[in-house]
Amino acid sequence: MLERYIQAIRTDDPGLEEPAATRERLKGGFAPGGVRRMTQLGLLVGAAVGELAPTEDDTVVHASAFGETRTLAGFLDSFPTASPTLFQTSVHPSSVQQVLIGRQRSVREFFPLAGGPYLAGQALLVAFMAKTPRVLVCGGEERGTWMTECGVASPRTFAFALALTAEPGTGALGRLTFSPTDRTGGLSLAEWFDLLHSRQPFAGPVAPGWQLKLEWS
Amino acid sequence: MASHLPDSVRLAASDCLTPLGDTAATLAALLRGERALQARPVLGREGGDRVPLALLPGRELDETVPPAWMDAVRALLAAAPPAPWGDARHPVFVTSSNFGVGSLYAYRRGGDAAHLAYGAPFVCVDGLRRELGWGDNVTIFSHACVSAHLGLMQAARLVRAELAERALVFSFDFLSPFVAGGFHALKILNADFPAPYAERPTGSIGLGDGAAFAVLTRDVGELAIAAQSLHNEMFHFTANRPDGAGFAACLAPLVAAARGCRLWIKGHGTGTLNAGRLEATTIARIFPQAPLVGWKGSLGHTLGSCGLVELALVAAALRGGRAPGTIGSAAPMMADNVALAPFATTGYDAVLCASNAFGGAHAALLLRHA
Repeated sequence: MLERYIQAIRTDDPGLEEPAATRERLKGGFAPGGVRRMTQLGLLVGAAVGELAPTEDDTVVHASAFGETRTLAGFLDSFPTASPTLFQTSVHPSSVQQVLIGRQRSVREFFPLAGGPYLAGQALLVAFMAKTPRVLVCGGEERGTWMTECGVASPRTFAFALALTAEPGTGALGRLTFSPTDRTGGLSLAEWFDLLHSRQPFAGPVAPGWQLKLEWS
Repeated sequence: MASHLPDSVRLAASDCLTPLGDTAATLAALLRGERALQARPVLGREGGDRVPLALLPGRELDETVPPAWMDAVRALLAAAPPAPWGDARHPVFVTSSNFGVGSLYAYRRGGDAAHLAYGAPFVCVDGLRRELGWGDNVTIFSHACVSAHLGLMQAARLVRAELAERALVFSFDFLSPFVAGGFHALKILNADFPAPYAERPTGSIGLGDGAAFAVLTRDVGELAIAAQSLHNEMFHFTANRPDGAGFAACLAPLVAAARGCRLWIKGHGTGTLNAGRLEATTIARIFPQAPLVGWKGSLGHTLGSCGLVELALVAAALRGGRAPGTIGSAAPMMADNVALAPFATTGYDAVLCASNAFGGAHAALLLRHA
């Protein structure tokens, strides 16, 4: 059985908030010069991760099925005169890079994942296998425009970040345990976010061969 | 047979596909000094500047439905050892930078909704999974041009922890106007052909189609991944720290693992000036006796798959006794240890394989005889 303790958690569920409103709401947490070019997902994930004060010694695991959807759409529409700025920020996983570059905060191990119905469980398995004392697991999605209508972008906007440790410490907020199972089932990123955001417990299969138990203190 | 290298995993099988063919054909062509890159319009049928691109034979830059690379991928993976890939004990790790984004571009430019079946990473990989008969246990890493190394690292950890019997790491990146246009917009994909690690007035890269796989086990195979390392500078999206500290930080954990080894180095070497110089000089400082080669002057940069494509070629070079030189380059070089010509690998017992990516991401591994 694999086990980790939740030491800190941040979630953001902005509903139908547009990127400009997100920028206005969160801009105080970022360097003034850089916030103008940040994506909505970059702002949301960046704010959540930033509050956990990442260090070089942390492993960062990032999960997003679709990444910087609106920037990707913008880059596609910039052809035939492709935009260099939109190209850079449309590359998965730019959201974490936007905030860490802004803070000039290097990290040794950074694992960005994409995926579908098992994405949350797969990201957690990467976190469980990490060698550092603390692992930051973060992710989210930004609601697309025409790409959502086409089924290649998220219909929801959300972001989360949590700090996990192998030792419980004195103030753990919750506990995650991972164990093998023959049961089948998955946990999408949005379902995982909803559990975190509402602090709901969970027990069940989350990825092929693995079940998760999430308990809150 | 148990590994005598603590914490290592074995490379049980690997193969790659490039415009020059499979691993054997590509290695042979590189040893002959052949260049796969050709000057082609950056936006495919929409034209634009001619830039160095290396496409699979018969494949056009513009995407088709189904993608023209699907048959090639199917043929490549037919060479993988049979196993219940994608079940709980045989995980698959798919790594890429582009996935099916060329299809998304084709949809947006042409309006054919059939392209959308490949338009998002998970959707594209799930189509591939069904096509290849894999189970659901498929994890996707997407970290630009170090993607393959992440798949190799997580696969190695699961195998080492005995949470997997064997792991299949697969990587693919096929070019499209999307990615060619993006690098062209950054000005580093231009009319010049790449000359990795060569001192010249302006830098340039080429881009190439590429796919590869590796199978990792605990105890099968004569080559072992003895150490792996990652480092993410987070200094600038498209530039490295000017002091080269990011390159050194990634290599530092491998120094101990490489101690006592007669080493050669397969570098990233895209053909850009600043990154190339930082990489070459840092490697020369840390491993002054080790010859450094880069093959993107022939193959182009195969993006997220480059780490796995080049690993397959490195493994074949170790087995075959000769390594290609740095094709496309000529003196003066950025460091004295850059090897321009092919050389015998029989005098060496390990290879350090390095890749870099946007955001100052670095990845490296040490491959050696088990």
